[in-house]
Amino acid sequence: MDKLPFITSAKRIKIYYVVATLIILIFGLRLFYLQIIRHGYYESEALSTQLKQYEIPADRGGIYAYDGNDVVPLVLNETRYRIVADPELVKDTDATANKLAPILNLDINKIKDQLNADSRYEILANKQTKDIKDKIDELKLPGIFTNEKIAQRVYIQGSIAAQILGFVNDEGKGSYGIEQYFDSELSGTPGKIKSLTDRNNVPLLATKDNLLVDPVNGKNIVLTIDVAMQRQLETILKEGLEHAISDSGSVIIMDANSGQVKAMANFPSYDPAKFSEVEDASLFTNPSVSEPLEPGSTMKTLTAAAALDTGSVTQDQTYYDPSSFKVDGYTIKNIEEDGGAGVRSIADILQLSLNTGATWLLMQMGGGELNEQGRQVWYDYMVNHYGFGKITGIEQGYEAEGIIPDPNEGYALNLKFANTAFGQGMTVTPLQLISALTSVVNGGDYYKPTLYSGILDDNNNLQSEVNRPERTNVVKTTTATSLIGYMQNVVQKNLRSAVREGYIVGGKTGTAEIANPDGGYYEDQFNGTYVGFVGGDKPQYTIVVRVNKPKIAGYAGSRAAAPIFSSTVNMLIDNFTVLRKSN
Amino acid sequence: MNYMGSRLSAQRHRNPRENIGHETAFRKHRPDYSLPILMSILLVLGAVVVFAIGPGLTNGTNLPENYYSVKQIISIILGIIGFGVASFIPINRWKKLQYPIIGLAIIVAFLVRIIGDEIYGAHRWIQIAGFSFQAAELIKLAIVLWLADYLSSRQSSFSQYETHILRNIGILIGAIAVVVAGLQSDLGSAAVMMAVVGMMGFVSGMPMKKLLTVGSVVMLIGLIAIVSTPYRRERVATFLNPAADCQAEGYQACQALITIGSGGMFGKGLGKSVQAYGYLPKPENDSIFAIVAEKFGFVGTVAVISVFWLLFRKISAVARSAPTEYSKLLVTGVLVWLSTQMFINVGAMVGLLPLKGITLPFVSYGGTSVIFVMIAMGIVFNISRYTELDASHNKKQFNDKQSLRIRYSGARRI
Repeated sequence: MDKLPFITSAKRIKIYYVVATLIILIFGLRLFYLQIIRHGYYESEALSTQLKQYEIPADRGGIYAYDGNDVVPLVLNETRYRIVADPELVKDTDATANKLAPILNLDINKIKDQLNADSRYEILANKQTKDIKDKIDELKLPGIFTNEKIAQRVYIQGSIAAQILGFVNDEGKGSYGIEQYFDSELSGTPGKIKSLTDRNNVPLLATKDNLLVDPVNGKNIVLTIDVAMQRQLETILKEGLEHAISDSGSVIIMDANSGQVKAMANFPSYDPAKFSEVEDASLFTNPSVSEPLEPGSTMKTLTAAAALDTGSVTQDQTYYDPSSFKVDGYTIKNIEEDGGAGVRSIADILQLSLNTGATWLLMQMGGGELNEQGRQVWYDYMVNHYGFGKITGIEQGYEAEGIIPDPNEGYALNLKFANTAFGQGMTVTPLQLISALTSVVNGGDYYKPTLYSGILDDNNNLQSEVNRPERTNVVKTTTATSLIGYMQNVVQKNLRSAVREGYIVGGKTGTAEIANPDGGYYEDQFNGTYVGFVGGDKPQYTIVVRVNKPKIAGYAGSRAAAPIFSSTVNMLIDNFTVLRKSN
Repeated sequence: MNYMGSRLSAQRHRNPRENIGHETAFRKHRPDYSLPILMSILLVLGAVVVFAIGPGLTNGTNLPENYYSVKQIISIILGIIGFGVASFIPINRWKKLQYPIIGLAIIVAFLVRIIGDEIYGAHRWIQIAGFSFQAAELIKLAIVLWLADYLSSRQSSFSQYETHILRNIGILIGAIAVVVAGLQSDLGSAAVMMAVVGMMGFVSGMPMKKLLTVGSVVMLIGLIAIVSTPYRRERVATFLNPAADCQAEGYQACQALITIGSGGMFGKGLGKSVQAYGYLPKPENDSIFAIVAEKFGFVGTVAVISVFWLLFRKISAVARSAPTEYSKLLVTGVLVWLSTQMFINVGAMVGLLPLKGITLPFVSYGGTSVIFVMIAMGIVFNISRYTELDASHNKKQFNDKQSLRIRYSGARRI
């Protein structure tokens, strides 16, 4: 090696230059291999991670209702912002937490923990307003991001009709009420794009041209509810319950000639804007449709209608009321104010609320005695005419069916059915009850009760749907006329505060015993109910009132439920267009 | 013989002897303007690419989209100042200027371990007033300056000082190994520095046998450095079989190949890089060559490596015709510095070398790299003004194509 000839420095530089040239040549060949020969392979490798099918969320539809004849929004969307941290990019954890805590109204230590977390995505706060987002943006905090948008439901009319509406949960799914029932219509169809994305799967704007399917925004649902009526009804209910010393109850106002629910108030309720703060999840369900009860004496109206309709009795027929019946070893009695035994009319049965009278009506349906035929006829009316024992199909979730006893199976059937004639030993929801009464007083058309009026199209035009009767001839027109008369009589005699010159007002109380799960009935607890109607030449609105376990002295039906009915009738006549009698 | 040199230099320098030295015959002429032109092509390319991928870089941060390109342009402006100043500093003055530079380099070399930011197990950066300073760049310049002076200061043939020189070079390489590769864990820069030391020794006439001995010792140390550090072992294992582990350790290597390969013949276009959006790590810096490949395709990459090749060709021409041993070695040092750095960077990107975490000179984003590399180019540009005439040990040069450089001299006008 020592014998190597001496190489000049210039020569050695030249050697290095040649080697460098060779290396660059090798790079050139390698690049030819990678970029030309293997291009297809690497292109598909690149696309397999870069190209993703993407969903563009559709806007959720709004929920609207009426204010008189105008359509007004109840629920709309508002853009809110999610405040997110990438702990790896946060520079000064303490200073960042100190600045954010007062703005977000959060605990400093909780924020610090999140900023120190071993992750790259920490949600600090959801659903923040634009104001708060702007304040945080102004601070220019590294690692804090505010651009993630969240569609937030806003309730234009406050918390009214909460249980009807339901809410949208944190995953964006409709929960309870209309939001759940119409979830697919409201949420629309997300669009699809096929797009190159960055490594966090965010589509790159430069390539948004490859839209596959446009998003279809959710439909705007218009409810039958009248906002003003709903609001006033909620107030009436609340005051009525206070007066009756009760902690819960419901009132429904239905359009007697279309089955549309105009107002449906429940108490207690909740604020759907703050659904996440509600501790008792049972508040989310709508008790008007999901909590059946024994209707009590309100049922006698329907018993009378069935007996008239089958021709078992005539409108002005009288009978001798013995004041008690012994059935299956059990005595059916009346309340103390019944006036004792004597000759009674059908109108008396309703006005005096005679249990024996209701039993007598059932007997007439069986040809004069309690028997299988009578049970069959009455069962047929309850289930097939009035729609009890099955859901109505209203646009709400968690609807209850109620229980109607079988006419042929079981023991003490005559006693059981005699009980159903005055609304005991059976259950219905307030909505089932009002739907059945509506079908009787409107002349025999059973409408599926509905909250759905139609949709608001993109041009804000209402595409309404007519609610056609599900069944006609529930009862004959003459039966309807008779019953309207009986019920007016009840109001005339028992509830003077609801009588209004120029209008027809009819009703019937109910004081239902509450079944004890351990057997029998509670001795000291009752539900007060009231069914009725108001109108001019014919019933225009039907109303059902329910007051749970009022502590006010006297019968729950007349002392607790009836005043609420009376206030509701007066409210409808005073503030809403109830048509006067024409003559 | 010195007539022309004296006459021409009188136009620009009062005393050219002070600039070059008294012992050598030389001619002074126009500098080689192709050097700044080629350098500018690469700088502009880098700035344009950094600007184009700005949205991808700042995506998910609060930084403005042009954050990186603005910083890069500031760096280039500082680099131009550095280039200008360096190109007018008399060459021999570097023999004095080197001492503060070497002193600073030594301080920074240790400081970076103590106060530097640790990134991926490596200590390479010091934060100064919002700018991060990469220690290795200063050390590279210091090594080139010192070694050129040291190797050229011997009296005649190499052998006289052989033992002495070898020992000092050994110490220098050892220091690089311990400080740069060891303390800073910057194996890529250590490799560049050792290549610079080795090549400068080689060019200064060090016998091949000694050179090979030193070379094997260095290789052995390098091997130990690789085996002793887990993340380097992984990088080498990854390099040998990148596809085995594309999701974790081999991720960057795989993504680099995908990025380059997907560029195809003509590339996707300047604004159409997708890989810069989070897929390819460090797209503005270590991986910028792959982004160039994706944007401009094979045509673009061949153009870029051709510009580098032309630049290296020009620098080596300046080195060969430089008037003194000192200036030859200075230019050689810069040549090896720039070229090995380019080889290691591009070699890693195209999958021929393991990943090292080293910038592509002029093109990569990064202020320190741009500024120091441009200072070094300023020195080369200055030296390109002079051609050796006393070529007694290298007569062949006048027959080379490189003697065409004489046309820069303006001789025709005389």
